Amino acid sequence: MAFLLRTVSLTADGREIVRDRRIERAQLSVGRAAERDIHLPDLAIEPDHARIEQIGERRVLVRSVGTLGFTVDGRSVKRVEIDAAAGAELGFGGHRIMVGREGDATALTVRREAALSDAAEEKDETAIFSLSAKLPGKRPVAWALTVAILSLLLALPIISFAMRPAQDDRKIDQVVGDNAWSPGKLSDAHHALEQGCEACHVKAFVSVRDDSCKACHADAHDHAPPGRLAGARESPGIGGAFLQSVAHAFGKPGPGACVDCHTEHEGEGRMAATPQQFCADCHGTLKERLPDTALADASDFGTAHPEFRPRVQVAVGGDGRPTVRRVSLAERPKDANGLKFPHDMHLSGTNGVARMARTLGGEFGFGNALACKDCHKPTADGVRFLPVDMESDCQMCHSLAFDKVGGTVRTLRHGQPDQVVADLRAFYRSTDPAAPLELGGLGRRRPGLYAQGQVYNAYFGAGATRPGRADRAIATAFSDKGVCGECHVATTPAGGKGWGVMPVHQTARFLEKGWFSHAAHKTEKCESCHAAGKSTLASDLLLPDLKSCRTCHGGEGSGAKVATGCALCHNYHADDGAPWAVRRKAAQVQPASSWQHP
Amino acid sequence: MRSTQIARQERQAALHDGFLRYAGYKWLKIAGGISVFTILTYVLIDVTPRHNGGSWYGYTLGTIGVALILWLTALGVRKRTMTPGRWSLKAWTSAHVYLGLSLIVIGTLHTGFQLGWNVHTLAWALMMLVILSGLFGIAVYAALPTQLSTNRDQMTEAQMLEALRAIDRQLHEAAQPLTSDMAQVVQSSLDQDAFGGSAWNRLSGHYPRCATAAALDRVRVVTGPQADLGHDPLEKIDTLLDRKQAMLARLRRHLRLRALLEVWLYVHVPATIALLAALLAHIVSVFFYW
Repeated sequence: MAFLLRTVSLTADGREIVRDRRIERAQLSVGRAAERDIHLPDLAIEPDHARIEQIGERRVLVRSVGTLGFTVDGRSVKRVEIDAAAGAELGFGGHRIMVGREGDATALTVRREAALSDAAEEKDETAIFSLSAKLPGKRPVAWALTVAILSLLLALPIISFAMRPAQDDRKIDQVVGDNAWSPGKLSDAHHALEQGCEACHVKAFVSVRDDSCKACHADAHDHAPPGRLAGARESPGIGGAFLQSVAHAFGKPGPGACVDCHTEHEGEGRMAATPQQFCADCHGTLKERLPDTALADASDFGTAHPEFRPRVQVAVGGDGRPTVRRVSLAERPKDANGLKFPHDMHLSGTNGVARMARTLGGEFGFGNALACKDCHKPTADGVRFLPVDMESDCQMCHSLAFDKVGGTVRTLRHGQPDQVVADLRAFYRSTDPAAPLELGGLGRRRPGLYAQGQVYNAYFGAGATRPGRADRAIATAFSDKGVCGECHVATTPAGGKGWGVMPVHQTARFLEKGWFSHAAHKTEKCESCHAAGKSTLASDLLLPDLKSCRTCHGGEGSGAKVATGCALCHNYHADDGAPWAVRRKAAQVQPASSWQHP
Repeated sequence: MRSTQIARQERQAALHDGFLRYAGYKWLKIAGGISVFTILTYVLIDVTPRHNGGSWYGYTLGTIGVALILWLTALGVRKRTMTPGRWSLKAWTSAHVYLGLSLIVIGTLHTGFQLGWNVHTLAWALMMLVILSGLFGIAVYAALPTQLSTNRDQMTEAQMLEALRAIDRQLHEAAQPLTSDMAQVVQSSLDQDAFGGSAWNRLSGHYPRCATAAALDRVRVVTGPQADLGHDPLEKIDTLLDRKQAMLARLRRHLRLRALLEVWLYVHVPATIALLAALLAHIVSVFFYW
């Protein structure tokens, strides 16, 4: 009954030192305390940890004394019997005891396996002091990011674009991932296309063409014939020509392509305004390049803009058709509209007109004198005014009544001179009256019957004078002070034609090349632009001139009360509607139906 | 004679100057000039409807920017060969730093401040990340080496580790007479990995679950109230744990300073490579949907 205790320890350079000791006893104690037979200086072991007993020739019993166990071939136990000849490995904390049989003794080989502290373990000093152990490597992170970016943000959209059906009428986005390519939100007008990049970007590496725009904007008018446009465009300087050549080298369309003015991806909201310079580039010096143009040069409303040239009726032809011509307001043109109408008299606050207005005010809503609104009614959109209408706007004063039958007033027919003549003739009865009874029969006729007031005189007198009185009444009606002639220029009977009046043409829009909306100027009084109160003739053209407009309006970027770009009045795409600068403000302007005269 | 003397002095001065003050801040002046010029042109050139990357001016800045980025990235290759002179690595690094900073102006004005959730802004953001991490790197290189040296107190890293091992050995020895549970407390300190913890622990220098600190607390519960008569082995443990904690504090300060000196590169380098990828996606996508 003996144990062979073999202790293996390591020198600093890793060499093993083996010490053997034979103990002639049947039982050995194991523990951290120095007095144990097997002294294991290991803090994981109790001072008195276990006993190893020889219980037979080859049998060995190992049992814990305290609460902590030990391991046998890796298993945790508190008590175990071992065949020493077969061998086993016991583990106590960081120590290992190999159990075996050597001669007649049970051999116990003790060695320390674990380092006594973490720091004592072998360490790669360059690695542990560096941060590299704590962070993912630069290379794998770089690769991961690169692969993620290139596959999701480049390859995916390109493959998706290449694989989309060539002809697809479904209005859904076919290209996946290209939203990440959008450099900014589209304007409100194109918001619906936000998901469908390929609607405009039709071909890869081909810039957006006009065709894409015209697919929807089929009704966009050309500004001018392409040849004229090309001639009008200012030739770029050296820098401009260089930029243009670079742009062309990269396949950009233009100049004059839709996208040159209508820039997209500038963010939500309305599309950015086209600046006045865009117009001024050509129109500022247009005469130099297009000498035959009828247009005057203009580059800034406040400083370089020609006087307005309204379309006026300069004369009335023999056939009654007016001759219309654009004349500059600087020439003080007259508008031969065919009417006789003194504005000053009608707007006076002291004369008979004003008296009449007060009399009729209750019924027609007049004030103490007539005002513009009493005759001039705006159109539904408030932009312009309806033609003044005789029946609704004049006739309450300028009555055409000439007879009363019972309770019914008979009036002359406005606008029909022939009917007027016929009605007057009928009224004055150009035929003889019915013969009185006294003139019939066989009764003796006395000479006195021919005297004034007697039957003969009355009968034959009427027969003789009736036609003459009708002619006089008609002539009176058409004379300067007559019911027709006081407003109209009458035409006397000649060449088989009877009485007539010159046709009246009320111009609804004088400035056909520019847009003017009265609704947009509601804050102003009529008189501040139209000097109607001083006008004595209907042919006075009461349009305000350029100078008058410039009291409020100046060029774009100017300090004027209303900085005005070209697009406020002029329409690049030359349709009948308002220019876009007006249209974009439409939402802010009150509906035209609420138009009230100030 | 005089001129050669001056030249020699200058050469010597240049040898001692860092890359930041290389050649009398030559590249700082050049980069500053470029930035001011770019800002002036940005303000003075009237691009309609407004500045963005898609105007001729935007494309010009973009082209300059991408050329600059490629050249800046080339430092990664260039730094592996050290040469002296006008094209020395120091000159190159100086230019890298200052031209890289001017890229903040060039790149940002290229965007026209139109930023969004897209590949273009991703490229800009990565560029800014690279530049700002580089700026951080310069800042720590300027400030931390002194602190690092002071903290080390002429110890090498190997000596720090050996000092820790020595304390551990003494702790192990001193703890032999202890009862099981107190021995466990000391063992927990011995088992502690002084280099453990997360990257955040390293960078912040805070280790809230330090086993040594916990062990010292446990020991102090016993040793605190009693007089130190030299009989109780715990008194020695107390002293040793205290020394270990001081050593750990020095080691951790060292690790923190080293981590701060290193960490910017873990952003700068991968972000640069990611930036190149994002730039490729940015440029290709622009021309793809031209």
